Amino acid sequence: MFPMQRRGFILGSSALLALGAGPKALAQPAPAMTPHEKELYEAAKNEGGELTWYTAHSDDITAQALGRSFESLYPGLKVNVLRTTAQVAYQRITQEIKASAIQCDVLSSTDLGHSVELKAKGAFEKYVPENSSKVLDIYQGYDPDGYYFVTSAGMIGIGYNTAKVKEADAPKNWTDLLDPKWKDNIALGHPGFSGYVGTWALTLRNQYGWDFFEKLAKNNPRVGRSINDAVTMLNAGESAIAGSGPVGTLLDSLKKGNPLAMVYPTDGTVLIIAPSSIMKGSKHPNAARLFMEFLMSEGASRIWVEHFTESIRPEVSPSEGAKSAKDLKIIRPTVAEITKGVPEVIKQWRETFGV
Amino acid sequence: MTDNSIDGRTIHFSGVASRLKRLDASMLLWLALIAVLAFLVLNPVLRLIISSLQETDTGRFTFANYRVAYGNIRHLQALANSLELGIGVALLATCFGVPIAWAISRTDMPGKAFVRLMVFAAFVTPPYLGAIGWILLAGPNSGWLNKIWMALTGAGHGIFNIYSMTGLILVIAVTSFPYTFVFTSSALDLVSSEMEDAANILGARTLRTTLRITLPLVTPAIIGGIIISFLEAIALFGAPALIALPARFNVVSTQLWQFFEYPVRVEEAAAYAMPLLAITVLMFWLQRRVLGRKGYTSVTGKGGERRMIALGPWRWVMLGYALLVCALSVFLPMLVLLQAAFSKAWGRGFSIDNLTLHNFYYLLVEQTQAKQTIFNTFAYSAVTAFAAISLSLAIAYVVNRKLVPWSNVLAFLCVAPFVVPGIVLAIGFYAAYAPPPLALYGTATILILGFTTRFLPIAYTSSAAGLRSINPEMEEAVRILGGSRLLAIRRVIIPLLKKSLAGAWILVFIPATRELSSAIFLVGPNTRVISVMLFDLSEEGNFEVLSALGVILLIATVAIAGIGSKIIGRDFMLRRNS
Repeated sequence: MFPMQRRGFILGSSALLALGAGPKALAQPAPAMTPHEKELYEAAKNEGGELTWYTAHSDDITAQALGRSFESLYPGLKVNVLRTTAQVAYQRITQEIKASAIQCDVLSSTDLGHSVELKAKGAFEKYVPENSSKVLDIYQGYDPDGYYFVTSAGMIGIGYNTAKVKEADAPKNWTDLLDPKWKDNIALGHPGFSGYVGTWALTLRNQYGWDFFEKLAKNNPRVGRSINDAVTMLNAGESAIAGSGPVGTLLDSLKKGNPLAMVYPTDGTVLIIAPSSIMKGSKHPNAARLFMEFLMSEGASRIWVEHFTESIRPEVSPSEGAKSAKDLKIIRPTVAEITKGVPEVIKQWRETFGV
Repeated sequence: MTDNSIDGRTIHFSGVASRLKRLDASMLLWLALIAVLAFLVLNPVLRLIISSLQETDTGRFTFANYRVAYGNIRHLQALANSLELGIGVALLATCFGVPIAWAISRTDMPGKAFVRLMVFAAFVTPPYLGAIGWILLAGPNSGWLNKIWMALTGAGHGIFNIYSMTGLILVIAVTSFPYTFVFTSSALDLVSSEMEDAANILGARTLRTTLRITLPLVTPAIIGGIIISFLEAIALFGAPALIALPARFNVVSTQLWQFFEYPVRVEEAAAYAMPLLAITVLMFWLQRRVLGRKGYTSVTGKGGERRMIALGPWRWVMLGYALLVCALSVFLPMLVLLQAAFSKAWGRGFSIDNLTLHNFYYLLVEQTQAKQTIFNTFAYSAVTAFAAISLSLAIAYVVNRKLVPWSNVLAFLCVAPFVVPGIVLAIGFYAAYAPPPLALYGTATILILGFTTRFLPIAYTSSAAGLRSINPEMEEAVRILGGSRLLAIRRVIIPLLKKSLAGAWILVFIPATRELSSAIFLVGPNTRVISVMLFDLSEEGNFEVLSALGVILLIATVAIAGIGSKIIGRDFMLRRNS
């Protein structure tokens, strides 16, 4: 160990001398940085070497993994990862805009409606990442003006606790959730917090009308905040069914050894398209641009699939045990429906569920 | 608290002429202090009231915000829920706190030191952390208590449901009863046994004496405790967000939070916050009215002998009750939090292969924010405690020595934040200081200023009490011998008050480390504190990491408080040495 250390020290110190960077210079150099990325990287180092990323794309663990990966690709840059639900991220952003003190550099939401709204308010900086033309076709071209881009996608199905529910008894489609046998045993997120849940509720409203939720409320579901709350409730055995079951978090949790199983409903798995943008007034615009490139890179998609979230790049196939959106029956609303519909759904939700 | 009996001596010693000469200098000081207080207390509250009457975009005068805020049956229901919550918590906290205070301060109950330590532990525990502990304990299907119940009885359902109003009341009461305890026990410590003896001689037994003589004598303290726990309960945000939402009801604080969702409606939030403000002002007014009519002068600082009442076998019953309360507030929640903090998946229970240190490793190594967050929490709390105490000591001195006219106004402003719930204060602070010209959003300054205001009443009450205990004669001796007032303060007052100031420092420091309701609106990405991070973690149900962070917070707080108590050489919070 010791001789290694010494050699490492010599190597490291010469590397430090050469690069003039911090100790992270010892990490692996980026595999083939494009000239554009290199340019952004150099500029980013000169503007303070850090950026703040508000993300609702995933749970904290996945978000941190992405942040660390970015830091090791671009030594000397630091990412402040702030994982919250989409509505909380939106609330913070609007507070910052009102106070004219933008702290966030890159905003990754799960509610496309927020992006449409914030773009209209002029809150975003225009930037078209080079990688934006390299993602899967279905994730391209959401904003032709170049203010927001799809950087992540995830699916919502139904999860259940295998210790409490046999496979044969498990719900097969969304309307099975209305069966009275699941009374007191369904866990849900809250559209007033989670962007995923907002889009999910909207999709099911499109499919079955609000009546579906009136009936669901009779089963007295446990309403949490984040969509990931539902997985926690399953792990704990507090609920048997995750009515809004985020595929990524569920499979990740299954891998950890929790007794879970995933159902892709026969009437359609809900696909969530999650956008990112650079904030206007960002104090680290180059780091932010570089980060946008990173989010749409192959490397980021590899981390996504490791944590069972959809890959947005054609080169990266899903992890073992996970199904990809392209092999499933998918349901999802349009951007226009989301912009108009999610606030409506939140209101209806509060009336129906009381919170 | 604002009771400042006129100290005639100061006037007597300083002649009219010198008083006039001094007026200019002290007038400046008075103005400076009032400016600071206006900045910290008056302006945010006024801004809140004004913005509740303004149109969102134009700023024109309107009542529309009130119409929207109260024109919804769910909003009114939330108000009613908050009242129910506050009353429930106040009553339960009294049932917990008062008997234990009595047993410790007046009887020969065994194990007093231990019980006192546990009450302290309950004081250090943030309510939202207690709430998480209780979710793990009494979740209807998965809580440990319910699992044990089902295993014992073979029942298909648990008997406890934490996701209910009763559950919420219990969770908040077990973390706020230390207020009732401290208020009552410090008052009981000052009641001498003479009146109890008189009752005994006239034939009353212990129970009757206690209920008819002892406890009535400390009514003001008990009422103070009731009011504080009521206010705590209605202003809390974290515990209701964790428990009330899944239980499918709202309270005022969670409803207030909704006004900050898409689209943000600060003005409606301000309008909706008004009843909270009105209720608290009313409570304090009532307290004055109720207490003003009777004399409680038997509570004197000195003289009179205190003897412990011999309870006989009942002392074990009292100990049992005290331990039950400790179990509800400390042992049980701590046990499950520790289990979660050291486990891979808490649902898998107590087993060796489920043990891990990874949650701590994740926080301290992998998660880049946690270290900064932990540092922020203790740094901000320490600075807050210094700021609050320096300011309140200066004001207490001016008030106590009657250096300026109308000094009671200053005293009033210092304790006024008591009547502003944390979440409301934060909204006011945000409205007043986040935007330009000060543009304090996302800075450490706004958090520290917010915390300082929030805890100014605690700091002021402690400093004023300390100062009142010092006879001005000593200072006057310095002045007669030609020393300046500043010299007197530096060489006489501060050294004499060292211990009680250190005690006050800890009393501000601890609640600052656990403060959530005002922090949540004032933090930026680089100024996060542990309470806010815990809240974010709870949002995605990450109980293992969350518990680990909670454990770190508790250990660090207890360590700092422990060192503090060692330095000042006494149990700062639970015993008052007169």
